[in-house]
Amino acid sequence: MSAISTRPKRPRFDVNGWLFVGPALALIAIFMVFPILHSLWMSFQSGLGMRLSFAGLKNIYRLFNDPLFFMALTNTFIFFLVQVPVMLTLALITAALLNNPDIKFRGVLRTAIFLPCVTSLVAYTVLFKSMFVANGLVNTVLINLGIVNVGIPWMTDPFWCRVMIIIAITWRWTGYNMIFYLAAMQNIDRSVYEAARIDGVPTWARFVSLTVPMLKPVILFTTVTSTIGTLQLFDEVSTITGGGSAGGAAGPGNSALTLSLYIYNLTFKFAPNLGYAATVSYVIVVLVAVLSFLQFYAARERKA
Amino acid sequence: MNRKTVALAFAGASLFAIAAAQAAEVTVWCWDPNFNVAIMKQAGEIYAKTHPDFKLNVVDFAKADLEQKLQTGLASGVADGMPDIVLIEDYGAQKYLQSFPDSFAPLSDKVDYSGFADYKVKLATLDGKVYSMPFDSGVAGMFYRKDMITAAGYTPADMQDLTWDKYVEIGKAVEAKTGKKMMGFDPNDGGLVRVLMQSAGGWYFDKDGKLSVEGNVALKGALDVIQKIQVNNIFRPAAGWADWVGSFTSGEVATVVTGVWITGTVKSQADQSGKWGVAPLPKLSVEGATHYSNLGGSSWYVLSGSKAKDESIDFLNEIYAKDINFYQKILVDRGAVGSLLAARNGEAYKSNDAFFGGEPIWQNFSDWLAKVPSVNYGTFTNEVDSVVSAHQPDLAKGTSVDDVLKAIDAQAQTLVQ
Repeated sequence: MSAISTRPKRPRFDVNGWLFVGPALALIAIFMVFPILHSLWMSFQSGLGMRLSFAGLKNIYRLFNDPLFFMALTNTFIFFLVQVPVMLTLALITAALLNNPDIKFRGVLRTAIFLPCVTSLVAYTVLFKSMFVANGLVNTVLINLGIVNVGIPWMTDPFWCRVMIIIAITWRWTGYNMIFYLAAMQNIDRSVYEAARIDGVPTWARFVSLTVPMLKPVILFTTVTSTIGTLQLFDEVSTITGGGSAGGAAGPGNSALTLSLYIYNLTFKFAPNLGYAATVSYVIVVLVAVLSFLQFYAARERKA
Repeated sequence: MNRKTVALAFAGASLFAIAAAQAAEVTVWCWDPNFNVAIMKQAGEIYAKTHPDFKLNVVDFAKADLEQKLQTGLASGVADGMPDIVLIEDYGAQKYLQSFPDSFAPLSDKVDYSGFADYKVKLATLDGKVYSMPFDSGVAGMFYRKDMITAAGYTPADMQDLTWDKYVEIGKAVEAKTGKKMMGFDPNDGGLVRVLMQSAGGWYFDKDGKLSVEGNVALKGALDVIQKIQVNNIFRPAAGWADWVGSFTSGEVATVVTGVWITGTVKSQADQSGKWGVAPLPKLSVEGATHYSNLGGSSWYVLSGSKAKDESIDFLNEIYAKDINFYQKILVDRGAVGSLLAARNGEAYKSNDAFFGGEPIWQNFSDWLAKVPSVNYGTFTNEVDSVVSAHQPDLAKGTSVDDVLKAIDAQAQTLVQ
């Protein structure tokens, strides 16, 4: 007791401590805080290129009257609502299967499923593009297997274009999420399963009532990161649908125009309106915040 | 390390470095190593013969990267790290000139513009000053496969003075007889709309730069043709540039309607030699329609913050505005048709091309070049273009052109501000 009480009181302001964290704080202030605040300030300005002037809430007004913004928002939500659940379910199932010690070549299979997410985003989208063109590999295989008579218009029909992009992102990211689930599953005590087996709980019920609840924190984590990733979807749609001259649409009927792609277009492809682009980017910030909050709220620990 | 230490380090490294720093170095940003980059290097070599101190540093980017870098640099307002000369696609000229005032040097005092194709000069004019050194032209034409057209029961003579209605008719005959489609067409790309619209002297904007969609005769005529091409299914769908190029290099289509710069790509298939011909564009059936139009093309701009501004301007002026031999060279080596009209009097322009059955295609293209209607590309071509491209699939479904124009107008209004 006495040892503790005689210890000198720490000063509120410790010079040495602040000197150590100072450089990091300064860098964070310059490269994180300042840009965030500056872009917030920019979102109240409007004009072309350097000719920005204060515009008050004009950008917000424009946002609500911009059909292309709503199209981008709708597309983003379609990708988010369809792709995230499909991908996470797939990841969970593959993780459960590959966690079974009786399966042979587990290591090889795990690597194979994880491999897509170490490939370069642009490289794989270029590959997907060449596979899904009108007379590409996918259509040729489907026709030869007799599944379809005429090639599916992946690149020219809005619906199929979205399907193709969802397939692409799912292929790329399923393995990534699977690794989290696998790691978490190995931490589950085997005795829990043994007890359940002795009690006569069937396999599928063990998965639903034991594995899934115990993975809840990890599922929450992957849901939040996947949500953020999908809301920021850019590389895939830009590479798969881009490449047209001058303007060009983002996929047939702008079906692959996401919020991020729209921000890019507003800044670099169109006459640069940095103020309006900043406004649209804050929409993503708000969406991510709201959706993450909802997900945390839905998965909160309920005290009995 | 700050600038001073860098300079000291270099100076310490060798005395030669100091000598090199005194000679003017002109940095150029452009895209396409086989075309713009190579041509600019050739220009630099020619100029260096008479100006031994001159040093040219041509930096090769992808076009999208260059535009992004340029736009970011100009927006930051810092001249450091920017080039002296930059290549800008004509559709974006006014966007840059108007968004970044005083960033580009006006050249009208030093360059004689009377020798250039009129439309190339007008598109880089702002408030009475011309800012560009006009470079390659995108004068448009119709490349066609003589063998397929003949198989369909038509002659090359029939192709010379077409309307688009006749074109669609021939397209049906070609498919019936040969099983080939009439053209490769990417519904996500608005290039063809722009070609058609400009051939009738129209654009997305009127002469004052105001959005003109509903009631735009040329645009309506263009969309009408796009609808006919799609509804009659005389096209082979293409996804992106490479796939579109593949449609004609692999011999799947009978015509290619695009800018002259595609000539090299068409000729890349040696086994198709003698099978191709080049004719003027088919005509729209609206008032003011011509057989002449443009797709793409770009021009050189000097940045006003450049340290070697005067040298850059003199270099461009000496070579691109005066050197007729240079234009012969880049035509032969690269297939580049410049927009200096006097260049067509040179030898290379008079040659006949065996690949096109001995047609004087360069002479033809440069004849058409002088007749391309001048239009106002405005500040927002890319914006409206993305909207128009997005509505091309609607036309395929049979939505009336008037309804599509209305929808385009509604979406474009918010983008154009």
